[in-house]
Amino acid sequence: MALGQRRRSSRTFVPPKLMLTSMMDMFTIILIFLLFSFSETPEKIVLGKNLELPRSTADVQYQQALKIILTKNELLVDDKVMAQVRNQQIVGLTPETFQSSPLYRRLKEIRSNVKAEENKDEETPHVLFLCDKSHSFKTINSVIKTSGLAGYPNFQFGVLEEKK
Amino acid sequence: MARFSRIRRTEEEEPELNMIPVMNLFMVLIPFLLSSVSFLHIKAINTSIPVHADRPSQTVVADTTPKITVVFEIKSDQVRISTLSDTPNDLQRSDEELVFPKQNGMDISVSAVADHLRKLKLSHPDSDTMILIPDNEVTYREIVQAMDCVRTHQSDVLFPNVVLSGSIG
Repeated sequence: MALGQRRRSSRTFVPPKLMLTSMMDMFTIILIFLLFSFSETPEKIVLGKNLELPRSTADVQYQQALKIILTKNELLVDDKVMAQVRNQQIVGLTPETFQSSPLYRRLKEIRSNVKAEENKDEETPHVLFLCDKSHSFKTINSVIKTSGLAGYPNFQFGVLEEKK
Repeated sequence: MARFSRIRRTEEEEPELNMIPVMNLFMVLIPFLLSSVSFLHIKAINTSIPVHADRPSQTVVADTTPKITVVFEIKSDQVRISTLSDTPNDLQRSDEELVFPKQNGMDISVSAVADHLRKLKLSHPDSDTMILIPDNEVTYREIVQAMDCVRTHQSDVLFPNVVLSGSIG
């Protein structure tokens, strides 16, 4: 009888108390770290698999600006595809035909809109240029030359920070 | 006596904070922040391309140390550094021209180039402009490497104003 009672009492379920304090500490630290890294980034840039930026010792923070992105296979202006890249050449963008290229027309359009909106003598705006590290200067030159002729001669080359 | 002990027991019991809503909030916030955080730090290199100037050029003030512009040409197998002076009598300075072969035909010998640039900077401390002229085949990675090399070296500021230009002719 006594044995039966002991067995019954040991089976009664006691809900375990979770020690949440240490977990709360951990979560608070993670949250503070994430909030800090979230606030220091001016704008989120998504690097696709076709865009591998070179590494650099530069420590200048990039600014909000018009983005020209040259991936392995596409040329984009503010996430809008302007041309395709085939065999390290931008389709439809040659030194002779740059004025009829979609890139030139788009940049001219944006530049004229900015001028009309601001209508004041500010310093020349710059372009944030994100380019895949494998591209040759010939390919890059066609883009930056067209950009310069459309009224954007100043650039910020986007690079990945290299730990010193 | 039994009544007293019951009262003491109720006084000693600590009130428990209900942490479950706070935990729920954290569980929502942390995945959201993790998905939006970027672990790749993107930095920028300021540069420009040569443009046609509308304004007349400023008159050069006579100075004891004339300003120079360093020309940094990246060829497929070598790097050539020369200088141009702002003083009309001293346009081309052949004594400051040097050629550096690339290591394994690939990378720039950063330390050798930086040493030469540091010497140029010491002799012309007011100069800060560099014209970078890469060959058509030079990759963007090499251009950025050259820009790093000419801007600063071991906390010394060399030529931070880099102008990117295509080769003429």
